Amino acid sequence: METEIERYRKPTRILHWIHAGAFVALFLTGLILFVPPLGVLAQDSWTRVIHRVAAILFVVAPLIYIPLNWKATLRGIKDAFSWGGADIGWMKAAPRYYFLSDEAAMPPQEHMNTGQKLWWLMVIVFGLIFAITGVIMWFAKTASPMALLQWMVILHDIAFITTGCMLFVHIYLSVVHPLMRPLRTGAWSSMVRGKISADYAKSHHAKWYDRVSKEKEAELH
Amino acid sequence: MAEKAILYDPTRCTACRGCQAACKQWNENDEVIPTKENAVEAHNWGSYENPPDLSPQTWLKVEFHEVERKGKVDWLFTRRACMHCSDAACVKVCPTGALYHHELGFVAYDKDLCSGCGYCVDFCPFHVPQSERNLLTGVAIMDKCTLCTTPGLDRIAAGYEPACVKTCPTDAVIYGDRNELVAEGKKRVQSLKTKGYSNAYLYGDKELDGLHVMYVLSDSPEVYGLPVSPQVPAAAIAWQDVIQPLGWALGGLTILGLGLNYLVAREAKLTKELPGKKEEKEE
Repeated sequence: METEIERYRKPTRILHWIHAGAFVALFLTGLILFVPPLGVLAQDSWTRVIHRVAAILFVVAPLIYIPLNWKATLRGIKDAFSWGGADIGWMKAAPRYYFLSDEAAMPPQEHMNTGQKLWWLMVIVFGLIFAITGVIMWFAKTASPMALLQWMVILHDIAFITTGCMLFVHIYLSVVHPLMRPLRTGAWSSMVRGKISADYAKSHHAKWYDRVSKEKEAELH
Repeated sequence: MAEKAILYDPTRCTACRGCQAACKQWNENDEVIPTKENAVEAHNWGSYENPPDLSPQTWLKVEFHEVERKGKVDWLFTRRACMHCSDAACVKVCPTGALYHHELGFVAYDKDLCSGCGYCVDFCPFHVPQSERNLLTGVAIMDKCTLCTTPGLDRIAAGYEPACVKTCPTDAVIYGDRNELVAEGKKRVQSLKTKGYSNAYLYGDKELDGLHVMYVLSDSPEVYGLPVSPQVPAAAIAWQDVIQPLGWALGGLTILGLGLNYLVAREAKLTKELPGKKEEKEE
């Protein structure tokens, strides 16, 4: 049995999967509005009802998580907005790493590498845009001026396009990319069981691993 | 096929609202009459106009405008309903194809396909499409004038005139080839001008690449409460002609790129592992 270290605590994992499920439902029920032949599926508003149910999950799940996990939330937000020279190192190494499968090319990474951080930052920013524009289109549809609603639709769509594309990238890099062995280690393991092997942590998140092993009693979550 | 249209001449209209009733009757749209105990609930709001606005059950409504011109009050009437634009914002933004251009030029509507999204409501420059919306669930369905081309109730396909035209006692609304009606409308505008209505104008001839409901106006459009040079909102163009195609391109490129990456990275990984057999060494 190889040694494992905790990467995501249970509340974080639960939030991830609720949010992921809600997002996929929102994505699919939104997508059919952009594929005219699938328009029949949207008849009688029922996909729009699913969209609303999923939207409630999408908004409420983090709202419950935040007060219960205040410290983790603060640290997460701080991480999302901490960018620096190390990120340039990641960007330089990324093509070699992701295309040439050259794991040695990658400089030591923190708990989140730059790519993960980018996605996490987008989740925060576009999540807020989705929620705000969505709430206006839902509850202020009859009360708002037309021009406001028009731009809400557009912002919602821009967020949809950007995060939709990134969702594919996220899933691909988590479980499909040739360097990933989803059932054994890495992303899948960390989000399902919450743990990853110490070896994987050492080779892929060295900075984080060093910090954590120094702190010993894992303050990480 | 030659485009058809309606020409409405307010100077001939007596505002009898026969068209309003005929529209409802033919299209099976009941009037919702607000009632209180043993009586009709009525509110006097200073006008003969009724009901207050278009609704999913009211596709056509005669509007009464009281305007002071040359020191006397004029009562100007307009026939408010879908204007059947050639460049129709509603068709542009409708995601399901429920709204589409009829071969005769009208904006036809297949109600069964409506998802209730309400984009047409938000983007129509004439505020014509109407929907009643459940504010909690968002369930809604739009309705509007189809120029009597509603499937199953299609007067045009049967060779009839639209119901509003058929019933009009003064021929204030006429139906026919659009080109002929444009010529007729210009003639009437000219005759209005010779009578001293110097601002007389044929509304709908040029607006939005040509409307299929045109008005012979004795004054400028704003006097009649009509938008002067109506436009497809810039947001509709930005959304449908720029952002949406860009979105498809981006989505396609993402998937293509990931597929490509998989092939390249897999190849690189296999060559790396080949000498040392297939086992991963440092993971």
